[in-house]
Amino acid sequence: MAIPVNPVDISPRQVANKSDKKALLAAIRMTLGVQSPAVRRNTQTFNRNRYVATGMLADYNELKDRARQIKENAIANLPQLLEKLEASVNANGGHFYLAKTAAEANAYIRDVLLRHQAKLVVKGKSITSEETKLNHTLEAAGIKVAETDLAEFILQVADEQPSHIIAPALHYSRERITALFKRKFDTELPLDTGEELTKFAREKLREQFIAADAGISGANLIAADSGSIMLVESEGNIRMTTILPPVHIAIAGIEKVIPSRTDFGVFLELLPASGTGQPLTSYVSIIHPPLKAPTFAAPGKEPAREREFHMVLIDNGRSRMREDPVLREALYCIRCSACMNVCANFETVGGHAFGGETYSGGIGGSWEAGTGQLSNARFSELCTACSRCVPNCPVRIDIPWLNENLRQRMNQEQGSSPVKFLFGEMTGSAPGDSVAPLQKQFFGNYNTLGKWGTKFSSLANASLHLPGARSVMQGVFGVDRRRELPAFPGKTWEQLYRVENPAKQSAIKPGVVMLADVFTNYGAPERGMAAIRVLRAIGLDVALSSAMPDGRAAMSQGMMETARREARALAPMLRRYLDEGRKIVVLEPSVLAMLRFDFKHLLDGDDTQVLLAQNSFEPLEYLWMVAQEQGLDLAKVFPATKCSQGTRLFYHSHCQQRTCNSATQTIEVLRAAGFDVVTSSVECCGMAGSFGYKREYYDLSMAVGEDLFAQVRRADEEGGARTLVASGISCHEQLFAGMGRAVFHPAELLASLLE
Amino acid sequence: MIMQPVMEQLSLVEQFVDSAQKAVATVEVIDRTPAALCDAILRVAKDAQRILYSPPQELPSALFGEFAKDPRVLANATADELIHSAAGVTEAFAGVVRTGSVCVDISYQRTGMVSLLAPLQIAVVAAETIVPQPRDLFRADVLDGKGLTRDFVFVTGPSATADMGPLVRGVHGPHKLHIIVLR
Repeated sequence: MAIPVNPVDISPRQVANKSDKKALLAAIRMTLGVQSPAVRRNTQTFNRNRYVATGMLADYNELKDRARQIKENAIANLPQLLEKLEASVNANGGHFYLAKTAAEANAYIRDVLLRHQAKLVVKGKSITSEETKLNHTLEAAGIKVAETDLAEFILQVADEQPSHIIAPALHYSRERITALFKRKFDTELPLDTGEELTKFAREKLREQFIAADAGISGANLIAADSGSIMLVESEGNIRMTTILPPVHIAIAGIEKVIPSRTDFGVFLELLPASGTGQPLTSYVSIIHPPLKAPTFAAPGKEPAREREFHMVLIDNGRSRMREDPVLREALYCIRCSACMNVCANFETVGGHAFGGETYSGGIGGSWEAGTGQLSNARFSELCTACSRCVPNCPVRIDIPWLNENLRQRMNQEQGSSPVKFLFGEMTGSAPGDSVAPLQKQFFGNYNTLGKWGTKFSSLANASLHLPGARSVMQGVFGVDRRRELPAFPGKTWEQLYRVENPAKQSAIKPGVVMLADVFTNYGAPERGMAAIRVLRAIGLDVALSSAMPDGRAAMSQGMMETARREARALAPMLRRYLDEGRKIVVLEPSVLAMLRFDFKHLLDGDDTQVLLAQNSFEPLEYLWMVAQEQGLDLAKVFPATKCSQGTRLFYHSHCQQRTCNSATQTIEVLRAAGFDVVTSSVECCGMAGSFGYKREYYDLSMAVGEDLFAQVRRADEEGGARTLVASGISCHEQLFAGMGRAVFHPAELLASLLE
Repeated sequence: MIMQPVMEQLSLVEQFVDSAQKAVATVEVIDRTPAALCDAILRVAKDAQRILYSPPQELPSALFGEFAKDPRVLANATADELIHSAAGVTEAFAGVVRTGSVCVDISYQRTGMVSLLAPLQIAVVAAETIVPQPRDLFRADVLDGKGLTRDFVFVTGPSATADMGPLVRGVHGPHKLHIIVLR
């Protein structure tokens, strides 16, 4: 595929299919160059509104549990539900058609329309019909299709694929829409406000609604017991589409079917709150067509005798997804878009880069792979597993887990080579993972890298400064040369600990054990020591475990076998400390998230996972718990006024730390100590472990970081520069890269205040 | 003892008014008399030359009797009149406190079109049919389970879009929603 370099020369359609990685990289350039400001503004608005709207649902968590349960049951009983639904639709007087493929669905709809000699159909928003490319089939049969959702209307005019599942044209700014319409329509109107553009489109489409021979809608949910469908919208075009024309066709995937109309209530409240962040959208239609109301006939037209309704459900790979333990999860998706709006990468590039031909965002890879080919999910590489989508998904899908598994499958699809195999052997990949590209094995086996680097630290650090070293790093492992590589320390955390604790600590007295996570052990041992001193300062007995990898680095590269092996070795080691009565404290939030959440996938069925999840803590989270319990005056223990860095801080918590609900405690501790703390509100810094080091993603990573840097600069405006504080090791690198000044771990600041 | 339910009902209505206004509807609470209803509708639709009207199936039609006599009111509109009228009046069989929504049954007569095609939508809802949450419409023990059998639409404010950049109210559906609550 020849893809032009200049962003403005790339059209979204050209790079919709990203099975070739070049298309993904071109799409990133295109979106960063053209679409990013509109995507940012719109997704971040949805994101803020969602937090407010879900916060107003008193039983948000219970609703999510209920929604998850309904969807799990529905997918488990799908064949029976489809039979029941067919009977319901027939009993209502409608027609039911189950299409195995997209082509079958399109042909059925075309034939219905041809039978009615339809010349014009109006369409409400239907992403499923984008998946089947229905418009092509209909237009080829001489039927005009009018997209009536204003976003779909824009896309039809521009000939682009959707970039977002509920707001398919959110990559368009008002200015770009004006330019587009001026180019495509012969009009003297100024069209330079949202009102004028809306009026222009409304008047065009009103004529189409009135003249339409048939209407095609999607369906947000379908109830098997009554043949009822739920349609969520704000513009009124779906109501027009379903009420005015005599023929109504609803097209949807089979996964939209749930057992009962009584279940609608759960989703009705979750879906708009999770999507646009509204308590309800302007219109939610609950209908079991055909409608009994009289039909509408355009002035001068003969009214149809009665209404006709067709429900067209498509399989198109969904039954295969149902049999696949990973992709099955995607069938629970209710397409609210929360996972996109909360995703820092998506907020920066949108679905034309972080998406395929139809589906986008974190969940989109599974859908593209499930309804098409695995390689179509290549864009899911943009999921950094920051995990912010996980607590915001109304049906509790662990989206990063799906993407890591897709990554593994794509690694496997590439096949092995002697070089990859040898490199895997050297760096410690599990046998099945040595098919992964060198870059992935390089980052996935961070443990080995760290071991070598610290053992020969002066050599390693010096060699990185040798002429040509960075070209080799970039050429062979894809490490971007613009990134400062952290120097390897002369001593690991384990070694420093032994120096400070020549006599073995009492292993009997209950207290805490700090996990010597590999990132801290080889990357920032002094931060680890600071955390130990801080915890000891409030009277805790603190031991340090031996350094062992936890699976995070491997998992992020799709090296699942390696990750499993590491998790299975680490769990029993930590279990012994738990059995001694110690709690586990983990400095690096991405590792804490492994113990809290990811180990449930890696240690299937092992009860150690539950124990680890319940008994592991972020250091300041634990400190805050103890301080609360014992009524400690933290201002006495850690008098902020003594801080050589001053008391004015800017604190950025780590994405996974927030998902663990372990972030606010740090702010509490710092404030209790007397610091003046301003916090960031970005979902992720954009570094996300190895992601920002990769040559192909450096620009995107820095663009994501720009939101964070801007927040720092705003905070600095009043009263001068604040001291930067962050809890994650990659957040440190990113903040340092963006702001060019020192970044501290909260524990380092607190430790500096001890006598 | 007797006052208690009335008080609760009042506060429910007050909360409903508040949420509906937040959803950018206009709301008024009036006495349940033909004169008051007629007055309320004609006041808000005073500039309309044609007012579409779909007679109620829950509320007594006599309540709308005085209003229906106005010469501008069209109870049996032609297609041309349906698409060229300034206001549309229907009853709503339920209201929702938390979201300020009204539920309009679209399965009978031309209620679906009357509540959709004119720029000003007027919905008349009885105070005792206002329920706390949207999900209540899917319970058999609320409003005799009407929400479980009917074709209806939750209407929350006027139609709106953000697809053209800024938020714009008034797209394909009504540009304004006026709710009349009957005490």
